[in-house]
Amino acid sequence: MPAAKPERHSAASHPATGTDIIVIGAGLAGLMAAVFAVEAGARVRLIAQGWGQQLVTPGWISVCDRAEDDVIAEVRGYAALHPEHPYGRAGDDAMVGGLERFRAATEAVGLSYELRRKDGHNMRLMTLLGGIQRVMLAPRGLAAGDLTDVRGPILLVGFAGWRDFFADLAAANLRRQGVDARALAIQLPDPDRYWDLWPGDLARQFDSALFRETVARQVAPHARDVERVGFPAVLGMDDHPRALDDLGGLIGRPVFEIPTLPESVPGVRLSNRLRRWLLRHGARVQIGHPVVRGVVEGRRCVGVEVQSLGHSTLFRADHVILATGGLYGGGIETDESGRVWEPLFGLPVMAPETESRAEWYYDDLLVERGHPIHRQAGLRVNTRLQPLDAAGEPVLDNVYAIGQMLAGFNPLTDGCAEGIALATAYKAVQTALELDE
Amino acid sequence: METTSVDVLVVGGGATGAAAAYDLARRGVRVLLVDQNDLTTGTSGRYHGLLHSGGRYVITDFDTAVECITENMILRRIAPFAIEDTGGLFVATSQDPDDFPARWAAACARAGIAAEALTPEQARALEPALTRDITAVYRVPDASCDSFDLNHGFITAARTYGGDAWIYQRVTGFLTDGDAVVGAELEDTRTGERRRVHAACVLNATGPWAGVVAGLVGLDVKIRLDRGSMVAMNIRWVNTIVNRLRPPSDGDILVPVGTVCVLGTTSIRTEDPADTHVDVSEVSTLLREADVVVPGIRHGRALRAWAGVRPLYEPPAELAQLESGHNVSRRFAVIDHTERDGLRGLVTVVGGKLTTCRLMAEQAVDVVCRQLGVAARCTTADEPLPVPETSPRHYHQLTHRVHRLEHGEMPGALICECEVVTRPQLEARIAAYGDQPVALDDLRRDLRLGMGPCQAGFCGYRAAGILHAAKGLSPGEATRALSAFVGERFRGVRPLLYGHQLRQFYLDELIYRRTLGLDALLALDQPQPEGVSDAGSEA
Repeated sequence: MPAAKPERHSAASHPATGTDIIVIGAGLAGLMAAVFAVEAGARVRLIAQGWGQQLVTPGWISVCDRAEDDVIAEVRGYAALHPEHPYGRAGDDAMVGGLERFRAATEAVGLSYELRRKDGHNMRLMTLLGGIQRVMLAPRGLAAGDLTDVRGPILLVGFAGWRDFFADLAAANLRRQGVDARALAIQLPDPDRYWDLWPGDLARQFDSALFRETVARQVAPHARDVERVGFPAVLGMDDHPRALDDLGGLIGRPVFEIPTLPESVPGVRLSNRLRRWLLRHGARVQIGHPVVRGVVEGRRCVGVEVQSLGHSTLFRADHVILATGGLYGGGIETDESGRVWEPLFGLPVMAPETESRAEWYYDDLLVERGHPIHRQAGLRVNTRLQPLDAAGEPVLDNVYAIGQMLAGFNPLTDGCAEGIALATAYKAVQTALELDE
Repeated sequence: METTSVDVLVVGGGATGAAAAYDLARRGVRVLLVDQNDLTTGTSGRYHGLLHSGGRYVITDFDTAVECITENMILRRIAPFAIEDTGGLFVATSQDPDDFPARWAAACARAGIAAEALTPEQARALEPALTRDITAVYRVPDASCDSFDLNHGFITAARTYGGDAWIYQRVTGFLTDGDAVVGAELEDTRTGERRRVHAACVLNATGPWAGVVAGLVGLDVKIRLDRGSMVAMNIRWVNTIVNRLRPPSDGDILVPVGTVCVLGTTSIRTEDPADTHVDVSEVSTLLREADVVVPGIRHGRALRAWAGVRPLYEPPAELAQLESGHNVSRRFAVIDHTERDGLRGLVTVVGGKLTTCRLMAEQAVDVVCRQLGVAARCTTADEPLPVPETSPRHYHQLTHRVHRLEHGEMPGALICECEVVTRPQLEARIAAYGDQPVALDDLRRDLRLGMGPCQAGFCGYRAAGILHAAKGLSPGEATRALSAFVGERFRGVRPLLYGHQLRQFYLDELIYRRTLGLDALLALDQPQPEGVSDAGSEA
């Protein structure tokens, strides 16, 4: 995980509120909470042990993948019926506001996330295996693959010998779902070098115009009678927007991306650009050293202790937004005895209602309803996103929990993980800065 | 129906069956071995990796201890490619009965097991992870053994002497002629194809299934089935085998095997030869007991848990009062059904241990040869097995594989990063199956694909893509092959899903469900339900 480089902090160019906010965690929720707070004029310090789950997720924004019709209407209806669900807690305004502000923020860093469907429905985006996922919002390269309105054949391009995309298999699986897909394998220059080539390594190659030309020259003759051309999501890292347009121009067809196995290049692009944006706008970003403890006086958190080599440092804040993740990110820990806990503040965790951890998982991995542990292990919060104790009372006045660490949804099966990250990030900032009152 | 004729049909491709096939072939007998699954997939493959010195049985089962030390020395000589000479320690702590070590050492001396007393300081110099609470410690000639390599060695050797082995062939019934078994009917468990094998004698070496197989001709063979669970930790916490120096009990051994350290074992009676599940409570027991001799190990990362079913020979009557299988004899029995049941042409071998597989095979083959009128004597202890060339293994040499990889000696894409398996290796293995179906799990056993920390999270998709291309599979077949593989990997990790391994499998599940959409693709094969379900029910 990249450590924060020392960078000069320019004076904030926004109206300062004089409020200090610490955000713990650099996943989608943490990064966006920091962005929203900076935009609202707070002094922001983002502290994280490492980058979050956006480095391993496909890169699109799942808001409510199950929605058959208008996604927002579906979520509104669901949240009204389920006030304890994170969407219910955050509220409609935060869900809509979070999505809108996210789109604006990503536009500002040069990565446009597109809705693409005018009717507010989910897009249909393909996977590496040729599956089709419904998602609401995706970065431009992924969104260009929306199969909803596909008219003609599509061409999937793989790289001969590269281990992370098997275009033949993807095309074959698409064909049995009624999509006219064909596969092409092209040669990368000097393929023997690539025995351990990760998606990010390949993406950096695509930052080079020369490399793109080599690829396009092989693809173009096969693309004449197809509607569009799909590549694994490695089309450029720092220079991605140009790489995408450039390849489309050279090939003469629209080009789209398909999410790869980790690392998720779309996630890396987003993380890098949001970090640079935060630094440019006066936020402090410390990635690499973990927060080890929240320091609490009475009902308030006065700051957090950060462990670095040989010593720890206390950073003070008026508000702390906890975005340390769920079972994956480390915001919720488990052990062999079946204990489930929140490590920084010792906040009350809603643990699975089971006798032993034997019941955390069902017997079959891909069971449709998902495994109990994912839905159950997490924090319960009120509508201010303050963590609650068993009696339903807030534990701390100025700590807000957002994103994956919240109980009540399964991020792997429910198709709403990123939507919840954005809605709760937005809501936490609104609450902390009293913007919603 | 296809019909084959041999002198002896060996049923069961575990260590005993494989050693018997080799033994028979060396004696000039035409032998065919069959297994309902791949080789080494029953108890022999569900093994902890400890080649016993015999020390563990020297008090409770002296004869087995003597057999172990004798066979230990023979296997070291004939199958060095499968054995790592780790040596072993027996460690007593203040929690253990203090009169035990002296009795134990005396019994070792009687059994011919070289048990060298060490000081606690010497032991900790050898194994720094050991507890400071050592009251007695001895060094013994334990070793770690790769049962897959050993079995491949026996089968390869059997083939060089004219024998053969068929996998995925289940015996569905015996051919009889009057009061004699004259062969068996087989069914290919993958294709359903049926075959008939005529044989002058059938050797039933099916371990926990011995009762089931004997039951196919109405015979009653009683074995006690005893499930033992094991947990592999992700690193070699010790480089020497560590045994608890106490009466045999749960959680007595730590075995460094390849890149991992196996904690074993438990002992739970079962009635089902296929009962290989692991209880969460067994994991707790194994970690707690191992932590007594290697403090801190229970907080380490556990990779995978599995269980094997020990087929303990049950001589009539005397067993019922014994609570735990640890005290039941590991001795084996060769049952000549001519004498016992008046049925010629069938011999059953039950009980025993992996360490004594060659001896069990020898004694079973002696009985078979008596029935056949073959006078040749056993020579399997006389010369080394040929190193099986088909098997690119030597698990404990992972560093060697990494070195070769990094110096360009293993070209092509690295598919399984944990265990260092390349695309050309996979393609060569797939090609070796010819027209036979290949499961990703077969490639796992051949190459260790998917056996490292990520348990196929990354390599599963890659291997499915390679298999799809190499075998010309339909997309549905390739998708189901991936699903079957990751499902099996999940089952072995499920009892360990907490802490690090829970996090790992969260990532794996994320890849399968979100990145690949594997669950939705599998649903394509299901009949579509009418209408639309409550789409928002889980938002």
